[in-house]
Amino acid sequence: MTLLLEFAQTSFCYGDRLILNEISASVSNGECVALVGPNGVGKTTLLRLAAGTLSPASGEIRLLGQPLDCFKQQAIARSIALVPQNVDVPFAFTVEQFIEQGRTPFLRMFGGLQAADRRAIEEAMDLTDTRSLRRRIFNQLSGGERQRVKIALGLAQRPRLLLLDEPTQHLDIGRQLEMADLIRSLSAKGIAILASMHDLTLIEGIFSSVWLLSPEEGMRKGTPEEILQPEFLGRAFKCPPHHHSVLEERIRGRRERVQ
Amino acid sequence: MAGEVTQMSITPDWDEQPRLPRNGLWVGILAGALLLAIVVSLGVGAVGVPARKLVLALLGREALTTDQRVIVLSLRLPRILAAALVGSALSVSGLLFQGLFRNPLADPYVIGSSGGAVLGASVGVFLLPSVTIAGFGATALLGFVGAASSIMLVYALARVNGRTPVVTLLLAGFAVSTMLSYSSYFLEVLDRDFGTGLRVLASWLHGTIGQPTWGQLTIGLIMLALGLAASVPLARRLNTLSLGEEYATHLGIHVQHTRIAIIVIGSMLTAAAVALGGLISFVGLIVPHMMRMVLGPDHTRLLPATALAGAVFLLLADTVARTIIAPAELSVGVLTAFIGGPFFLYLLRKTKQETLL
Repeated sequence: MTLLLEFAQTSFCYGDRLILNEISASVSNGECVALVGPNGVGKTTLLRLAAGTLSPASGEIRLLGQPLDCFKQQAIARSIALVPQNVDVPFAFTVEQFIEQGRTPFLRMFGGLQAADRRAIEEAMDLTDTRSLRRRIFNQLSGGERQRVKIALGLAQRPRLLLLDEPTQHLDIGRQLEMADLIRSLSAKGIAILASMHDLTLIEGIFSSVWLLSPEEGMRKGTPEEILQPEFLGRAFKCPPHHHSVLEERIRGRRERVQ
Repeated sequence: MAGEVTQMSITPDWDEQPRLPRNGLWVGILAGALLLAIVVSLGVGAVGVPARKLVLALLGREALTTDQRVIVLSLRLPRILAAALVGSALSVSGLLFQGLFRNPLADPYVIGSSGGAVLGASVGVFLLPSVTIAGFGATALLGFVGAASSIMLVYALARVNGRTPVVTLLLAGFAVSTMLSYSSYFLEVLDRDFGTGLRVLASWLHGTIGQPTWGQLTIGLIMLALGLAASVPLARRLNTLSLGEEYATHLGIHVQHTRIAIIVIGSMLTAAAVALGGLISFVGLIVPHMMRMVLGPDHTRLLPATALAGAVFLLLADTVARTIIAPAELSVGVLTAFIGGPFFLYLLRKTKQETLL
């Protein structure tokens, strides 16, 4: 397995507030990683660093062994697609027009969409089951549809690595399970995934590894079974010890159902 | 979100829906409408010339009387071309600014760039009247500087956390454009020859398309052509920028360069429009909005359609303005304010519901 994306002692600060402290981790080809941690610990920041929209304060990020800042942003966007959490579009773009924007990194200065671009867009719509939405107005979609269309834009970039920022947030349970299926099927297609996840019960059975970010202890990496332990989660999320049984029950219950 | 509710309706097979008409068709229709509007407007006025006779005369089949020739070719034609040019420039700069602010209410007048252009141009008329380049004076250049600096000021004032909410946009635009307009009045005091300067300023503040010289028209046309040509590669970037700064940056758009390009081109177009027609409000709001209703929000389609539709719109408005209370003439700015004011309020109300505040 080749290393796709590597964080090497990467740190980031907003002003004088240190968000990420010497993070070292890597995503291999086809790996499916869940990024968990309390609010404000820097999950979104880590995804933005990986997408090239932020630069680390120190340390390095490598894409296929090359430092990320050696690439043009367009080249990064041809290998890595970021699906942000919130999107607000002021005009009434259709779903198809929205997804077309994923081809931006492939277009020339004056050029329009070519046949290859059209194919990538159709394929992205097939993978996310959004073909039937193509003439709908993006702003009028439901939360679950909107999330799928955003992922379709990312897939239109034909990425090796898909970065998902809280893909299941604000979705009802049915749409959450639908999203879980979509992530599983994309992963099966060989697309590596790094997703920040709020809902810990959705992780097992979908993700092959978990990165737990904690404000005090930095990053802990492992399989879902290794990381989703009450003592680790309790420390990272600052749950008092008498609540550890609640944590345990939640994850246990899930684990038994999976088995 | 309330989006779930709309799912209750039976979803039709969207693939069966006809595609929106091709862009070329609309460009053709609008270009035809522009030609038609020019011919009609040439014949309309105190001295009427029948359209048939006019067309035959233009084709060289029939001769006009000397009076008719003077009226049609020397008086009406320059004014008609000026109206079309001003309408086109204002509409395209409105389209660009709406993309920059990610806000459909950004009109060159509303956000103060027209006011900046008037102040800059007034400085040219009052303080540097003897500096002339091809009959246009320092006004065009200073108008551009005025428009560009006021838009940068409003942009800096109106932005909150990477977005431009309607409230801050309108308030910043209102404050800046009011200061600029009244600063132009202040320049009256400095007028030494009590005449041309005052007359020019008054017509600018009313939004009057006067009798431009061919030299002024040529400069205006060059500025419009440059602005339109430079907007072509921007159109696609405006689409990506509509998704927000984070998306645009990630997808490889150089957001800062694009913004500067929009400000420079939009200000040049505003300056061209103000030099020929002064403060004409709401055209840059009405025309892009109408075109969005017909063609959707894709800027690559909107750009040519808006340029043509803006020309048709203001040409028709100016034709009405110069004939409706004949023999007196109305300033076209008065007319667009009458139409555009209620339209603006309607848009504002609609925008509020879509939670743009």
